[in-house]
Amino acid sequence: MSRFTLKPVGWRPRLAPVKAETATPEQLAALEACPPAQRRSTYFLTLAHDPGSLGERGALFNIVMYAEGGLDRADRELSTAVVSMVNGCVFCTSVHAKRFVELTGEEPAMQRLLDEGWAAEPDPRRKAMADFTEALTCDPGAVTAQHLAPLRAAGLDDLEILDLIHSVAMFANANRLMLTLGDPLLPRGV
Amino acid sequence: MPDLIEDILGLAPDSPLGRLRRQRPEALRHAEGAYRELLLPADPGGLSLAERAALARHVAEREGEAALAAHFAGLAPSPTPSPRLDALLAYAEKTAMAPESTSKADIDGLVALGLTSRDIVAATQLIAFVPYQVRLLAGLRALMQEKAA
Repeated sequence: MSRFTLKPVGWRPRLAPVKAETATPEQLAALEACPPAQRRSTYFLTLAHDPGSLGERGALFNIVMYAEGGLDRADRELSTAVVSMVNGCVFCTSVHAKRFVELTGEEPAMQRLLDEGWAAEPDPRRKAMADFTEALTCDPGAVTAQHLAPLRAAGLDDLEILDLIHSVAMFANANRLMLTLGDPLLPRGV
Repeated sequence: MPDLIEDILGLAPDSPLGRLRRQRPEALRHAEGAYRELLLPADPGGLSLAERAALARHVAEREGEAALAAHFAGLAPSPTPSPRLDALLAYAEKTAMAPESTSKADIDGLVALGLTSRDIVAATQLIAFVPYQVRLLAGLRALMQEKAA
């Protein structure tokens, strides 16, 4: 067992979040640019202290995770779960591992990835994506065209690879926000 | 429309990779928008433009992204050394390089120095956005290298 889990993980901010009832028009407008399901989350209400960056960054997150076409949504969730494991963000890992399971119905595959990592991942496409994700997360300066070869061999096209790069980059950002601005609240037994 | 990422890569908008990027126009627009909101905001609040540039430069240097660091260095004069600047740079170092090692004490330390919630969130967004730019640049360089082969 690892510390990563599909169970819901909470998040407690280290700064008091903005209150939706007393938010300024600028803060409310910035929250509107964020994914609808998360607009009133504690996390986004904490980010709303700086509405300018929240609006642009929320819109960027939205397009990276949900843009139509290109990389399959489940593959984006897989990649962001892998980034979050590498960075040690238990909260983000649980959220995106869960979304992968919702999209694919493949809970055993995700549970194995959470428990054992991806060194022995049996699905070659997922293995190639996870390895690339780890390399770009850990040592971006060392990534070369050679790192793209396994993705090409697994059949990824240009737009899919661009979407994968965007997902990895987005969670270099998301994990750092989540890990610094709050603490994860772990479920019992994890 | 200016695009910092393409300026740094020397990538033409009508090159094959430039055209590929324009299949995700909102990703370009909002990455540029986030950069401008964080480094060049019309109202920087309590976190000065010089402090913002210094924090971004520190993260880019630590991530080994020299061209991006040089760009940030050119945005504003270096801020005057102070305990506040030291604390901000220490926070940038932890947040960028070892985010799991941060604790509530780091945030409380910034509050004690007089930073507002807005300043702290802005600093954190800024410090966390440079790693986005670094990985986007690295991924795009790999694609450029592949296309040139």
